[in-house]
Amino acid sequence: MPRILLENQNNPESFDLIDKDIWVIIPAYNEEKIIGEVLEELFSRNMKLVIIDDGSTDRTYQISRAIVKDNPGRGYLYRHPINRGLGATLKTGIEVCLEKGADIMVTFDADGQHNPDDILPVCQPIIKGQADVVIGVRNFNDMPEVKKVSNQLMNLITSIFYGANVKDSQSGLRAFNRKVAIALDIESREYGISSEIIREIKRKDLRMAEVPIETIYTDYALAKGTNLKIGIKILVKMIRDVLK
Amino acid sequence: MALMLYQYIGIVIGIVGIIYTLLRFRESKMSPGMLLFWSIVWIVLIVFSIFPDATGFFANLTGIGRGLDVILILGLIGCFYLIFRIYNMIENIEQEITNIAREIALSKENMDRDDEKGKK
Repeated sequence: MPRILLENQNNPESFDLIDKDIWVIIPAYNEEKIIGEVLEELFSRNMKLVIIDDGSTDRTYQISRAIVKDNPGRGYLYRHPINRGLGATLKTGIEVCLEKGADIMVTFDADGQHNPDDILPVCQPIIKGQADVVIGVRNFNDMPEVKKVSNQLMNLITSIFYGANVKDSQSGLRAFNRKVAIALDIESREYGISSEIIREIKRKDLRMAEVPIETIYTDYALAKGTNLKIGIKILVKMIRDVLK
Repeated sequence: MALMLYQYIGIVIGIVGIIYTLLRFRESKMSPGMLLFWSIVWIVLIVFSIFPDATGFFANLTGIGRGLDVILILGLIGCFYLIFRIYNMIENIEQEITNIAREIALSKENMDRDDEKGKK
């Protein structure tokens, strides 16, 4: 797996001019408290957004819809009629982006844990042609202890089952180009998608870069994301994949 | 030959099983293959209930000590097989539901935009 690590990506002077559209895929499930803020932030940075509401039971769809209507031609909102999990949601998002001719796609969590300013740095290796897929690496030292341990465990498990050593296998902020979006062969419907993407990078021998990103730990974001129960579910799925 | 209680229970369960199987088949809710499989299972249960000694033959054949043990072990293996089948079935159904949900999502947005165009 060819890969590069770019430490000083956060220096805007080194950014290449962007002649390609950046499309941000936002999978959202019951995020009514924060999604409005997240979408406004992204729209203000001139991104094109593809929002997939994964069957939320709160007002996530209505809030997103209002904001998308305020930004005509730059936002696309879709809704799964029932909750089908992160994996299925990302898949729908990727399909939309491909259909609309996106060059660069970024996945961005709807819970406000990512900094929108990290999107451009994460895209840089792709814009510069150095990589096909970029994983945003969170700083494990900033994480609350439980999260840190469970994420390290997931890295270990991903490494054991898929033979891919990455710094942050469960990161929600990633970028990839069209070639990767087409090549990705993903089945997971749930959170296992993150590890599955890593597996695909390894299997298809895609050029990967890892870029440090910031994580905003609000109380809200902390209650969500990978916890132990989800970790165990991902593990079971991986064992089954191996036995298949 | 006086039958023991467990033999009566076995016969009754077997007959109920056969009736239920036939009903399911008549309503087209069971494939011919499954009809055959379940009919054999229930008939075997009835036969062994009436002639418990017949299990001794299988016990000798497989080397498992007692006839009843053979039945229990076979029953367990059968259960695991069925759970495996059901598990796979559910997995397939889940995947199909996901595909449908994604299809609906993709078609809805297009409809949404058409509405907007219509209004203009």
